Amino acid sequence: MKWLSLLTNEWIKIFSRVRTWIFLALPIIIIIGVAVYDKVTTDEAENNNWKQQLTQNINDDKKALEEARKNNDDDFYIEMLESNIKQNEYAIANDISPYETTAWQFMKDMAPISSLIGLFVIVVASDIVSSEFSKGTIKMLLIRPYSRWKILLSKFLATLGFAFVMWLAVIVASWLVGGLAYGFGGMDQVYLTFTEDQQVKERLIVEYVFLNIGLEFIELTVLVVLAFMISTLFMSNSIAIGVAMFTMFAGNIIVTLLATKDWVIYTLFANMDLSVLIDGQNQLIKDLTLPFSISVLAVYTALMLALTFIVFQKRDVKA
Amino acid sequence: MTTHTLELKNLSKKIKNKTIVDDLSFSVREGEIFGLLGPNGAGKTTTIRMIVGLISITDGDVFINGDNIRGNYEKAMERVGAIVENPQLYDYMSGYKNLMQYARIMPGVTQERIDEVIQLVDLEYAIHDKVKTYSLGMRQRLGVAQALLHKPNVLILDEPTNGLDPQGIYDLRNYLRLLANNGTSVVVSSHMLAEMQLMCDRVAIIQHGKLVRIDEISNQEEEADVKVHFQVEGDLLQAKKILAELNPELVIEDFGKEIIVQTADMKTIAELNKQLVLAGILVVGIQRKTKTLEERFLEMTKKGGDVSEVAVPVNE
Ligand SMILES: Nc1ncnc2c1ncn2[C@@H]1O[C@H](COP(=O)(O)OP(=O)(O)OP(=O)(O)O)[C@@H](O)[C@H]1O
Ligand SMILES: [Mg+2]
Repeated sequence: MKWLSLLTNEWIKIFSRVRTWIFLALPIIIIIGVAVYDKVTTDEAENNNWKQQLTQNINDDKKALEEARKNNDDDFYIEMLESNIKQNEYAIANDISPYETTAWQFMKDMAPISSLIGLFVIVVASDIVSSEFSKGTIKMLLIRPYSRWKILLSKFLATLGFAFVMWLAVIVASWLVGGLAYGFGGMDQVYLTFTEDQQVKERLIVEYVFLNIGLEFIELTVLVVLAFMISTLFMSNSIAIGVAMFTMFAGNIIVTLLATKDWVIYTLFANMDLSVLIDGQNQLIKDLTLPFSISVLAVYTALMLALTFIVFQKRDVKA
Repeated sequence: MTTHTLELKNLSKKIKNKTIVDDLSFSVREGEIFGLLGPNGAGKTTTIRMIVGLISITDGDVFINGDNIRGNYEKAMERVGAIVENPQLYDYMSGYKNLMQYARIMPGVTQERIDEVIQLVDLEYAIHDKVKTYSLGMRQRLGVAQALLHKPNVLILDEPTNGLDPQGIYDLRNYLRLLANNGTSVVVSSHMLAEMQLMCDRVAIIQHGKLVRIDEISNQEEEADVKVHFQVEGDLLQAKKILAELNPELVIEDFGKEIIVQTADMKTIAELNKQLVLAGILVVGIQRKTKTLEERFLEMTKKGGDVSEVAVPVNE
């Protein structure tokens, strides 16, 4: 009944802020900017000579590989060079140009924009609870005939909704911009990746793109829950933004430091970057798989949400 | 039979072993304006926070329209409007949009009601401006407006006159009286004692979280609280001496150009006047004065507290 109006209220509050519109506009401007820049600077002729270019790359990599073996360099580096060489040789042999851009390829290239969405969503999620405490507006909201959990739930759903809108806006924008710039075709375009036994394998770009945007939304949800929890626990949006950003960006560094420990795979950090698991390449921890990581995230999300609601329900409001 | 809309039963709040509200019980009747009066830190705001569920109750119960807020919070809060300390509003929205936030989630608020309330608090001219441009008094008015939107039958206002100009205070007082006459129970807390006297039907005096007493404002004229002031011309000390000799049973003081006698009896007053005149002392004025709530309040809560310290409203 009236309960939905709580959600409407939160939604209105989010979109009454100027920053929300900046958050929405910025990724779209960047996407357009990248496409325009690429169009202006790319030399078509060079792309047509891609085989020559790849041969050059292979030769360079081979030299680097010899050097690396001599110096007993890191295994990781050596493996990377080997796979690059294999991939490029396969591309030449099977006539698959890595430089051909389509709407789908463009969307795949734009995937890193999700970090930016993550950042903005963290800001909104961190703010939606703690700013009401710091401004004192929370008490005007809590004295209404609604249990506290309903009020918190409305805030949570509004933030998720905002994350969804951001995510959708970026998908639609990158598809549209990509399509307008490079044509909407390319559903059948493939890219090269590896099977588990290190054989080169072809995969549809469309498949990657869809899988990736699905995983991005899972990552966003976890970030929302994390920022939401910290902001409720500490009633401070700067702590919430800090911790969530730290998890998002410094996570890899921590995982690298802890990589030798068995339990690292059960940490939140180790499972936050799902898209690297799509092809299982460049993975920091070899044991992780998609189903495993998603399960770990689900458990963390449930625990964090439970803690958030329990603490919010009991808190004395002195704002 | 009087119905009680708000009932506090042995309400206590402890924070870290410190008792802030101590076994507080009182009931507010339908259609009365009930004051909470106490020096800074007495526990008024803490009590109100417990009533509206912002902080947990250590012990005791609060019933609103018969519903216990610990058991049936949503039902109990349905007909409550409140301001707790300063009303904090969304700075980045207009006054109107702020009101809409609350109108949307409270039962039965119509467009007409919103317009009516805006007019009531005299904010038509600024209602579409962003709240960050509002003055303290304008925020207070908007706070009062949001508390009234859904026509609550229990209205709780923590220092509602804070920041209001004299016109605003006057209007608020009249409006609260109108609401009370229509059956709303109004609970106000305030530092302004004179204000409370003008506004309330009953006042609970609270100190150190404890209820000291509840005063009916209307029939406060107790014997001991009435004093008669004789303004005299001529030798004041002489006059006082004469009266003291003739009336050894009375308490007689002098202050400035006045002789003050503690009595309420009309005959005694006439007799005293006659005695003064016969002694050749010119009486230029006689005034009957009732001890104000302020004086009684100070008397009761006095612990080295200075008048100005208690009587001056604090802008938190
Ligand atoms: N969170 C807290 N922890 C410890 N003590 C507290 C806390 N909150 C309030 N107090 C104490 O409780 C007492 C009552 O505070 P309260 O705000 O209820 O007073 P008040 O009667 O509203 O005073 P004022 O007239 O200044 O508004 C004060 O002594 C205050 O120091
Ligand atoms: Mg107070």
